[in-house]
Amino acid sequence: MASDFDDLVQEGRVHRTVYTDEAIFSREQQKVFGETWVYLAHASEITEPNSFVARKMGLRSVIVTRDKEHKVHVLLNRCTHRGATVCREKKGDKTPFFTCPYHGWTFKNTGECAAIPHQDAYGEGFKKSSFNLKQIPYVSEYRGFILATLNPEKGKKGIKDHLRSAAGRIDEWIDHNGGDHKAIRISGAQQYTVHANWKCLYDNAGDGYHPEFSHQSLLQMTQQRYGAGMDLDYFAGGIDSTPMYSQDLGNGHTFLDQRPCMYEASAFDRQRPQPGREAIVEQLTKEVGEDKAREYFEMATGAGMNLNIFPNLLFIGNQLQVITPLSVGLSDMTWYSTSIDNVPAAVNTLRLRTQEDFTAFGEPDDTANFEACFKGMHEREIDWIDISRHLHTGVDKTDDNGIVTSVISSDIHMRAYYAEWKKLMQSNDESSLG
Amino acid sequence: MASKNNSIADSYYLNDAFYDRLMALNESWKMEAPAISPITLEDKQACESLIFTEARLADDLRLEQWLDCYSDQCVYWIPSSYPVVDPRQEITLEFHDKRRLQDRVARIRTGVAYSMVPVIRTRHVLGNIEYRQGVDKEVRARASFIIDALFDGKHRILSGWIGYSLVSEQNEWKIAVKQINLIDADCLQENNTFFL
Ligand code: FES
Ligand SMILES: [Fe+2]
Repeated sequence: MASDFDDLVQEGRVHRTVYTDEAIFSREQQKVFGETWVYLAHASEITEPNSFVARKMGLRSVIVTRDKEHKVHVLLNRCTHRGATVCREKKGDKTPFFTCPYHGWTFKNTGECAAIPHQDAYGEGFKKSSFNLKQIPYVSEYRGFILATLNPEKGKKGIKDHLRSAAGRIDEWIDHNGGDHKAIRISGAQQYTVHANWKCLYDNAGDGYHPEFSHQSLLQMTQQRYGAGMDLDYFAGGIDSTPMYSQDLGNGHTFLDQRPCMYEASAFDRQRPQPGREAIVEQLTKEVGEDKAREYFEMATGAGMNLNIFPNLLFIGNQLQVITPLSVGLSDMTWYSTSIDNVPAAVNTLRLRTQEDFTAFGEPDDTANFEACFKGMHEREIDWIDISRHLHTGVDKTDDNGIVTSVISSDIHMRAYYAEWKKLMQSNDESSLG
Repeated sequence: MASKNNSIADSYYLNDAFYDRLMALNESWKMEAPAISPITLEDKQACESLIFTEARLADDLRLEQWLDCYSDQCVYWIPSSYPVVDPRQEITLEFHDKRRLQDRVARIRTGVAYSMVPVIRTRHVLGNIEYRQGVDKEVRARASFIIDALFDGKHRILSGWIGYSLVSEQNEWKIAVKQINLIDADCLQENNTFFL
């Protein structure tokens, strides 16, 4: 299998079957969505002891719980009796126990099997403890972001070792959003299906080449109605001579920085006007004064960072996009919105109306292209997906920490994550559930 | 194409008082008689005509005329939660004022909105419409809907109910609020870049 992956992922190109093959998809569930750190939930979604959210870790259904000691567990949502779904709610609180609806087996939110109805019928040697809910053995949090892995080696080294310099970029994102990670909370989600392999979505996460073309409808409409100098118009024209850049942060993580253009002057002034903008500007300026209000306006505008934590967590503006494979040709793309505690209410209203902008004006066109790519990948006559942009132009620079910086339209994002993908797919690590 | 549709609406009106009104409306959908009072036959005919016209214009992609069905102080709202949460607290699937509705139409009209290439054909079916008197001359209505959406040769069904707040402006009825409650609001959505 190892050499197969050398054939499939080559320098500057990837074989189409990497996206369309069922066997590869199946192996990804273990190697990628099991044996590296996978994002599952944000701490603000389970703040209270005995709260939980139901999530997916690849194809696995899991319950992310916080027990009464505040410890987080990731439990497989599969009854150890006959397989029924133990928890059928998406979220909840005051839930120290989960009872399987089928035969009433009851589990603590730590996974421990607490009660089996009429247990005596199983005989004397029967041990309840061998029927605890299975759990993902390594769960870790970095400043509110909860990730888990099956991989003992990665698990023991910890999440910071995995994130490396991406951690510093997460810190910058938190700084944009007020600086206090405990004050950042998830405020709902927009959830979509995309009829494409999950990697068609992930490919785009660091694609600085496409906006000028894919997002023409947004650019043209904005230009027509609001004039030049708005929103993403710095992507139109010679983008590689702008100060924007893209980076390979190691371990498959990548970064695309729009801030040098977006925040060159006020990013809020560039923003296509949000619903209620004038009312909020007036109200906030009156409430907190012009300078402080200005600060809040910039904070309500997207962070200007595309930070991609391989394989499934994307920071886009002030939102988190989480990609979950549902089948080889179907993916869940969920945009979690974020709000900030301890700011005036109008700031969060402005943030929400801002976060609804791109999913209405940009993402639909992206999605249409992801789906079109996936369709094209089924054409048998052409085998290769090209990822060679700026591979041979000598623009990349590597710093002392091993971070490679390239120009904004480079395919460095795809090359970086595919290197990690290949490494994972080739590994023979043995991991299992705790 | 009326020039009014191209001029950019402002959004001073969408203040806290307007949001409060949205949440009060949302509560009022749950009320039964006698807490609600009936409307006159004349108003009923006019409002029904507006509701059907708006749906037909959206289906026929006569989007400039469709925009005219809306008050300049309107909200078009598709909650992403079930039951509905205050849009100041949680993200919605869509929340547009008049200006953003105009933006949406202008985007589709560029001809390069690839989520609408080929164009998504829709047909609304509205039924079970109930009318009630709102505050002052406002009329409120709620209707069940089914939308058949055709994209790339494939049919898709959306359904749910819509709450309308309708107001008379210079003797013309307009939509002030359209709250579209999908039965799967909190589930995965497909490409819904047409008007619901
Ligand atoms: S399957 Fe869960 S108790 Fe039987
Ligand atoms: Fe895009």
